[in-house]
Amino acid sequence: MLKYILKRLILLIFTLFLVITATFFLMQIMPGTPFNNPKLTPEMIAQLNKAYGLDLPLWHQYLNYMINATHGDFGTSFQYQNQSVGMLIGQRLPISAQLGAQALVIGVIAGLFMGAISARNKNNKIDGTLGVVSTLGISVPSFILAIILLYLFGFKWPLFPVSGWGDSFSESVLPTIALAVGPAAIVTRFVRSEMIEALSSDYVQLARAKGLSEKEIVNKHAYRNSMIPVLTLIGPMAAGLLTGSTLIENIFSIPGIGQQFVSSIPTKDFPVIMGTTIVYALMLMVMILITDILTAIVDPRVRLQ
Amino acid sequence: MSNPILKVENLHVNFNTYAGTVKAIRDVSFDLNEGETLAIVGESGSGKSVTTKTLMGLNAKNASIPDNSRLLFKDKNLLALTEEEWQHVRGNEIAMIFQDPMTSLDPTMKIGHQIAEPLVKHRGISEKEALARALELMKGVGIPDAEEHINDYPHQWSGGMRQRAVIAIALAADPEILIADEPTTALDVTIQAQILNLMKKLQKESNSSIIFITHDLGVVAGMADRVAVMYAGKIVEYGTVDEIFFNPQHPYTWGLLNSMPTTDTEEGSLQAIPGTPPDLLEPPLGDAFAPRNVYALAIDSREEPPFFKVSDTHYAATWLLDERAPKVTPPKQILTRWAHWQELQGQEA
Repeated sequence: MLKYILKRLILLIFTLFLVITATFFLMQIMPGTPFNNPKLTPEMIAQLNKAYGLDLPLWHQYLNYMINATHGDFGTSFQYQNQSVGMLIGQRLPISAQLGAQALVIGVIAGLFMGAISARNKNNKIDGTLGVVSTLGISVPSFILAIILLYLFGFKWPLFPVSGWGDSFSESVLPTIALAVGPAAIVTRFVRSEMIEALSSDYVQLARAKGLSEKEIVNKHAYRNSMIPVLTLIGPMAAGLLTGSTLIENIFSIPGIGQQFVSSIPTKDFPVIMGTTIVYALMLMVMILITDILTAIVDPRVRLQ
Repeated sequence: MSNPILKVENLHVNFNTYAGTVKAIRDVSFDLNEGETLAIVGESGSGKSVTTKTLMGLNAKNASIPDNSRLLFKDKNLLALTEEEWQHVRGNEIAMIFQDPMTSLDPTMKIGHQIAEPLVKHRGISEKEALARALELMKGVGIPDAEEHINDYPHQWSGGMRQRAVIAIALAADPEILIADEPTTALDVTIQAQILNLMKKLQKESNSSIIFITHDLGVVAGMADRVAVMYAGKIVEYGTVDEIFFNPQHPYTWGLLNSMPTTDTEEGSLQAIPGTPPDLLEPPLGDAFAPRNVYALAIDSREEPPFFKVSDTHYAATWLLDERAPKVTPPKQILTRWAHWQELQGQEA
């Protein structure tokens, strides 16, 4: 097991290297320059390019970036003066990660419950209602939901603050819910279909023939077996949630990292593009690794090697 | 003959589907005596599996059973039980051995725990005690080095070993009736013999009754005391294993016997029964087997044959046994069987 994890971590570093390299050169294909403020004179732009090392040949820039990156220096943002990318991400990522983690936990737990309830009531009214709710949850965009939540619980019945971060837990309630509904709906539908399959399997028939109650069957046999495919769904979902959501963070004025993913691209803020890409790639790979380890724990047929 | 432990009386099972009502079991009655093995034989769709599921109370939700049907287990009508009462019967008084050992065990649970599960449920003993008993059961069904394998998962075992585990699960709570639903169909022929011998040995030890569901008459010969032949949701002939094998009266039984290879089957003499079983959405009038039966009489398409008595233990539902029916000559192989039957009778007399 330990050997396997070590092997995966080495592979992860190699993949990260490829991601960095590809992103670095792909960025250069984008038209325009980072310094396109009309007030800047050509001399000033040349000076800026020199200061950030953008006047060097591309291979040299790449080499510099790689050397600095291995020392933990990911450059300085072009847009946020004197903010190193490391600091920028270090301040903002934990906020997004906390919000994402809350949404993930709530979404997955709600999905597991609703999916199982749906499956056990297959094709009756409860299943039908949950089916409509989960379809809505998937199809209504999170920002629409955020606005509805804001109107209902921030304005009509002002139970929670409408914006801000870090002063109290109640500030995180509405954005967490807005973020959690989509994943909850996806997990619900997935668990439902997996659970229906498990409940019609031969080993559940055998469990019934043993005289176990439906509740015992679901808890002891069906859940564990339907969790195996659900885990593969949750891994990438976690990576997406933990790295923040531009829209939700904007609506609730949360100083998370979500916005940097988007705004760094049109402004050609190269170091920030690189930084956020590395964060996302790393997060995704770590989550997939965790998923694989969890799958091996849940499913004895899977051996990690 | 000992007392019947199970009496099935006028069992009907219907399934309500979008297309209409499927009459899967149409008036089936039989007894099961203590310590005996009753084989129910028939081709796919004859109602064998529905019968077993009904005996376990495990029919699909769209099944309906009319009130005059009765399943008497020790004078208790199982059809009147609530789900909770059924849970006390299942695995405890009536247990089941499933067909496919490759899919019947939970892939994520240790085999020892799967065997211990019915004990914890029905005997109310601790997990630890149940596991100790599970180990005994594993040894009883012939799993070598059981101590080392009690914590194995199903994927680590071969099909034959898994079927032994499935049998151990069924035997765990010492049930009075064991229902075996084609327990050897998914196994290699050599493993089949081992499993059948094991079942016979275990039955002798525990004096339990077995209902053996199969389409394989070869297996029946070695296992069963009595045989019931099912066709299109009905029993068409039943009798002792010798009576069915050597004095068969129903043309469907003839067909089944002729489609089974034996050691003296001549090349080319193996015969399939022509046609397919009827659609049970609308069972045909009269004898359901008539359209496939070369010996069918005119009355077969109008009126269902009642059971005609062949002996005290042997009955067959075919108009050929009516005294007004013309005498027909069965296929050559059946005549050979009849001749053998005469010899057997002669020896006894």
